[in-house]
Amino acid sequence: MLRKTDSNAILFVVAALLLFAIGGLLTTVAPPLIDKTWGKPFENSDPAKGPVGKLRPYTDLELKGRAIYVREGCWYCHTQQTRTLLADTKRSGWKGVDSPISTPDEFVYDQPHMFGTKRTGPDLSRVGGKYNRQWHRTHFRNPRDLVQGSVMPPFPWIANNDAEFEALVSYIQTLGRAKDWRPDHDYEK
Amino acid sequence: MAIEAKAGATAVSPGVAAQAKMHEDLTAKWFLLSSIAYFFIVGIIALTIAAKFVWPQLMGTAPYLTYGRLRPLHVNGMLFGWLLPADMGLTFYIVPRLCGVKLWSEKLGVVTAILWNIIVLGAVVTLPAGMNKGLEYAELITPLAVLVVIAWVMFGANIFATIATRKYEQMYVSTWYMMGTILWTAFVYLTGNFGTLFTTGVNQANLNWMYVHNAVGLIFTPVGLALAYYYIPKSSNTPLYSHKLSMIGFWSLAFVYVWTGAHHMLHGPISQWLQTIAIVFSVMLLIPVWAVVYNFFATMKGQWHQLRENVELKFLMSGVVFYLLTCFQGPMHSLRSVNAIVSKTDWIPGHAHMAVLGAFSFFAIAGIHYTIPRLFNRPLHSVAVANWSFWFFMIGGLGFFVTLWLGGFWQGWQWNNPSIPFIDTVVALKPVWAVRFLSGVMMFTGITLFLYNIMATVIGSKTPQTTAAAARA
Repeated sequence: MLRKTDSNAILFVVAALLLFAIGGLLTTVAPPLIDKTWGKPFENSDPAKGPVGKLRPYTDLELKGRAIYVREGCWYCHTQQTRTLLADTKRSGWKGVDSPISTPDEFVYDQPHMFGTKRTGPDLSRVGGKYNRQWHRTHFRNPRDLVQGSVMPPFPWIANNDAEFEALVSYIQTLGRAKDWRPDHDYEK
Repeated sequence: MAIEAKAGATAVSPGVAAQAKMHEDLTAKWFLLSSIAYFFIVGIIALTIAAKFVWPQLMGTAPYLTYGRLRPLHVNGMLFGWLLPADMGLTFYIVPRLCGVKLWSEKLGVVTAILWNIIVLGAVVTLPAGMNKGLEYAELITPLAVLVVIAWVMFGANIFATIATRKYEQMYVSTWYMMGTILWTAFVYLTGNFGTLFTTGVNQANLNWMYVHNAVGLIFTPVGLALAYYYIPKSSNTPLYSHKLSMIGFWSLAFVYVWTGAHHMLHGPISQWLQTIAIVFSVMLLIPVWAVVYNFFATMKGQWHQLRENVELKFLMSGVVFYLLTCFQGPMHSLRSVNAIVSKTDWIPGHAHMAVLGAFSFFAIAGIHYTIPRLFNRPLHSVAVANWSFWFFMIGGLGFFVTLWLGGFWQGWQWNNPSIPFIDTVVALKPVWAVRFLSGVMMFTGITLFLYNIMATVIGSKTPQTTAAAARA
């Protein structure tokens, strides 16, 4: 049949769209219908089942901070996913405790998603509460003041703007907090 | 120079002269010249962000010049400012010739070109201003994305109407690939730019990666291959090796490519079964790739000596080799064990640049070298400059790809050893980024020579009487 598409443009269009549509529909429309965890917010109160906690929607301030994170392209260099790799759970961990892997139900309020593709800087999926406000302000002013050898750009226009700085930090402090996995709950503000 | 002497021996046939009169080609000219200008301008952005890896404080206090705002301008500028309009311009040149008729509407074409320029200028203003939708390859704000859809419909209508009025019933493989590009792009672009507006989290990421992957796989790949299928036989004056093989390549691409988006999230928070599907289909990509590449190599059998003198063929055949390499890497990256090392590292930009620059931009550059002299009825300004430009692209490109692969692989090994602090893995890559910047300088030199050569051809002093190139049309 495909041989005839050589000289029949209409047949060609139908065949090209049909073949494309099979994979197109099965990989985009079908998966969220099959895998319900994609759309259900994380919630667990039974410690026997692993990390406890509950995912809540972002506050207005956090959403404002998130918009700054999107605007400045932080996501081009920082991923937000602790993958199913041992090294990832160790790097995302805290004080010797390995972090749980990221699961789809932690991200249902993320619009746009910030998973990222490139790790020029460290992954941020569990960074919430690791560093306090003062650390972040100094770091945004000039990252090399705190981390020798860093290639992160300075962001003085955020560090020097209290409204933007507070919003961004409040967003960063939410990252990875839904699964309340740290033994001492020692989160920085 | 040698190529002109050789080509000059053939006299202009009356058919060629008649054909030259039949085609107005105003649309092709608009698209090609503006795309080359953006290639140069966005090249400056590319160099700037490469320099920022070496000097992180560079232009660090101006918000609109920060890395996170210039990077999307680089990516969108190269994809939608340079490569896609160059491909569209060459499509406007090729399709009427393969159909033996005039372009359906030259007026509509020129309006499309103007609209496209408005879109690119809109991107140049909005992206540094921080107006970014936050989705890779779909950064452009919704009003601009709507304009892209309108421009694409205008482009598609024009090309399909031309094909509908064609004189030759059988369609050549380049025509299929161009039709495929127009059809698939419509759906892929809508998914990535509008489907993502109504979804969140992993569901949105899945649509995003379907779009990102197929922006390369179902937009730049088919239109790039359409160019290669047209220009390799044309430029080498050799018939295509196998029609059947080109059919296998095309229809397997149509079926296989779209399934692979989830391989961008291997080991990530997305269903394992979807990851496995993406891996299986990624490996199957070797089928369309090998069918296409074998066809090109077999076409060149006994003709390789032409590469000594023919710059277009140099670009085309090295593009084919880069295409093979990049499409071999892709399936290998999608294997879980390899992915655990290379994913998210600097290997990936090395891989992506080999696809978009090494393969598809090389095809477009070859097509422009072949087409511009024919559009303006003047010989190429200088074959020597074209050769210099080729070698700057080639050596700069290889320097870029190879150092990033080595550096990225090393980086991946370091990441997988959690006893190495993350910052040490950053410092370790600094020599790699320095080499990347120097390679970028070489590639930019290649772009500059290319721009100069084409502009000198267009506005140059060489008169149509001496057009050896036109005789080969």
